Amino acid sequence: MRPASSLSLVKLRKSYGSNEVLRGLDLTIEPGSFVGLMGANGAGKSTLIKILDGVTNASSGTILLDGAPVDSLRLRSEVAFVHQDLGLVDGISIADNLRLGERPMRTLGLFLDLQRERSEATKALERVQVDRSPDTLVGTLSPAEKTLVAIARAFARGANFLVMDEATSNLTAQGASRVLNVLNSVVEDGGSVIMVTHRLSEVIQATNRVVALVDGRIAHDAPTATLDRAALALMLAPEAAAAEERLASGPGEVLFRMTGVRAPDLGPVDLEVRAGEVVGITGNQGSGLHTIGFLANRTVSPTHGTVWLADGVTTALVPPHRETEGGFADQTLLENMTLSALSALRLRSRLLSLSKESADAQHMVGRLRVKPSTTDAIFGSLSGGNKQKVVFARALLSGAQVFVLCEPTRGVDPATRAEIYQLIHELRSSGAGVLVLSSDSEDLLAVSDRVAVVVAGLIQHMTPISDLESEGLEAFV
Amino acid sequence: MKTTHDDSTKDSPVTPESVEQPAAARPKESTWRRLSFDRRIHGSVTPLAFLVAFACFGLWQGGVFLNVPARILDLHSNTPILLLAVSLMVTLLAGQFDLSAASMATLSTFLTVGLVVDHGWPFWLVLIATLTLGVLGGLINGLLVTRLRINTFIATLGTGGAFVGLSSVLSQGSSIVPSVETPLPGWFSGLGSFGTYTTKAPLAVSLLMIVVLLAIAHISAGRLRPTGVSDSTWRLIEIGAAVLVLLIALALRSWLHQVTWPVVLLVAVGVVVWVLFRLTVTGRNIQAVGSNPLAARLAGVRTDREVVKAFMIGGLLASVAGIVLAAQQGSATPDVATGFLLPAFAAAFLSTVVFSAGRFNVWGTIIGGTFLLWVGQGLIVGGLPFTWLPVVNGIVLIVAVASSTFIQRSQR
Repeated sequence: MRPASSLSLVKLRKSYGSNEVLRGLDLTIEPGSFVGLMGANGAGKSTLIKILDGVTNASSGTILLDGAPVDSLRLRSEVAFVHQDLGLVDGISIADNLRLGERPMRTLGLFLDLQRERSEATKALERVQVDRSPDTLVGTLSPAEKTLVAIARAFARGANFLVMDEATSNLTAQGASRVLNVLNSVVEDGGSVIMVTHRLSEVIQATNRVVALVDGRIAHDAPTATLDRAALALMLAPEAAAAEERLASGPGEVLFRMTGVRAPDLGPVDLEVRAGEVVGITGNQGSGLHTIGFLANRTVSPTHGTVWLADGVTTALVPPHRETEGGFADQTLLENMTLSALSALRLRSRLLSLSKESADAQHMVGRLRVKPSTTDAIFGSLSGGNKQKVVFARALLSGAQVFVLCEPTRGVDPATRAEIYQLIHELRSSGAGVLVLSSDSEDLLAVSDRVAVVVAGLIQHMTPISDLESEGLEAFV
Repeated sequence: MKTTHDDSTKDSPVTPESVEQPAAARPKESTWRRLSFDRRIHGSVTPLAFLVAFACFGLWQGGVFLNVPARILDLHSNTPILLLAVSLMVTLLAGQFDLSAASMATLSTFLTVGLVVDHGWPFWLVLIATLTLGVLGGLINGLLVTRLRINTFIATLGTGGAFVGLSSVLSQGSSIVPSVETPLPGWFSGLGSFGTYTTKAPLAVSLLMIVVLLAIAHISAGRLRPTGVSDSTWRLIEIGAAVLVLLIALALRSWLHQVTWPVVLLVAVGVVVWVLFRLTVTGRNIQAVGSNPLAARLAGVRTDREVVKAFMIGGLLASVAGIVLAAQQGSATPDVATGFLLPAFAAAFLSTVVFSAGRFNVWGTIIGGTFLLWVGQGLIVGGLPFTWLPVVNGIVLIVAVASSTFIQRSQR
């Protein structure tokens, strides 16, 4: 691979209206860099990536590629962007995905040269260490493999400078490791990688330089080797409360119980959640982990068994994918938050009380510290962590006593993560039952009273957290 | 990205420099660019464009176009199209295309006239039967789409064909014209009735209409409030605006005298639909399903049921459109409302660029539709053959959808 270009940003600024998102970034990335780009939600990471990708333009400042000014890195074949949405088509093969949007290879300028496309695909897959036939349908791949296929496609187009935009945030720890290994080999070959992530562990594991944005400025820029982990965490999560002391009160009566519940590829599941208790379950992608959540919320009906709720108890769900399953992109924060609580907001005339609705939403915005704080902002314009908060707010307002939280901290920054943990503690101490279903075992260790793991559709190793060494859970995942 | 809205900085804890920095000192941020990101501006660009178009027609054709009775006549005679547009807006908000609405309006016209003329039913029963059929038609559409999971285009294309077909069966393929022995009721159709342009609504009714609209404007106007305006100042502005509107209305009461009953009915339907979507659980749920069906289901909304309800409300409104058509025409002619589908869709989609950025809304539909028909009428008065009208409507539909898509993209 030829060495990557060097990329320089000079006094890059960006404002949306009166809202200044980037306040003058100066940054040079030499070939062979593996830069971890970190920052709280709203710090300007996404905006920076959008400018580099040509989705939006900077208000002022210059982007230099090998010293020559460019508008954006879009259409530069040596630079490739891998976003959280990988842009792969599930229903077609790996080989076809790799050629997607390219001109097909032909012999004599006429016939499709499938043989050559196939062998090119095999080569590309070897490079990203994916041991699959090029004919495999992308839909059957694991999330990590899909990410690697997206990287392979970037290579196939001649990229040696990768921008990974939270592309690892949906992956399990092992999956992310696999991707990081491949990225490391890119850097060893003289390529460059910019990786946007919220996971400090990934940054430490793979990168050789850490850049942290705070409020649109570079607040930290140093080699990973000299990283002051505590200082960085403080910078990214200034308001993160120290670990919350567990309340002494034990769990109360059973609020929710699953008995012999089966769904395709899952079960039988036996599970109960008591008042004032947090039950955490982890598992790999495809283990049926989230199906348990949908069953618990009764959005999926079991083929066998019963889902029982105590009298008058209702459930609320925070789904695993906030964009596709959680939010209403074109609606306001207010409408997003109050949807599950509408029937309780009715007056005696059966019409909604707009003042009560707006007061409830405004209260939630304050309690969860949602930015922006106006309830008529549009959901689709929010950053990821704030979207997650809004989906949480809907669950909180619904008046449920049992909360089913799927991937509660997926793709959110450390500060928001701490806030969400705090929120789960508050729910627990208010006497609610909480079921946390997360592929990130850090979530479980932070909030659960009892933990378990789903393997091959079965819940195993249900253990009180007190009996578990802090590293123990990682061991059996 | 933090946000794309100006007003978001109101209460958020931003750093001092972003607040105190004077606008002029900001680097290279043009006024146009700032405005283009403000959602409040988006909603008012289209009405402004309407006004400009209106003014242009006025300069071009003078008194022929700027003729209040003539423009209200346009509105009066096109009330069925606008009612149909509101019907389509209801199903569009639920994420569904109801291609059968115009056919339901046609069938309703035939039923209203036919049940009286050919079967001698009492008129109150005819009205109930026609409206019930509208609801039933919607129910069938809804069940086809939600239970049998038939694509909404195909399902409503099919039922639409059936509805028009039934109207032909009812009339054996010809028109139904009331006779002297079996006339339509005198209050409903004919000289001096509900359906005639020469019958005007009393001034009190028109004023009441304006007061109701002001109340709705008051509830909706909160988001227009600029940052930094206090509660009491805003209330004074609102009261001032309301008094001004009422004074203008009284000063121009000769115009209000021109308002006809179908127009009053249209506004009343607008108020009911507005209440439905703003103030009822059903209306909110329908919008949630239209916005993201999966998220709505996971949030506890019974999505299939809401879609069926939307189709039933849409069917009911299509029937109302058909009944008004019967009143205005006094008879039923084959395919009477079929050509209304295109302008009605254009009006419904225009609403996504009037008042609200990218979302269907009832007042946008009615106002957008009104301007659409005035623009068409202006072109005809200016010499364009009326056969060109569908071309104009088609272009407007596409332009409305394109600009709505553009606005939504620029918000992200």
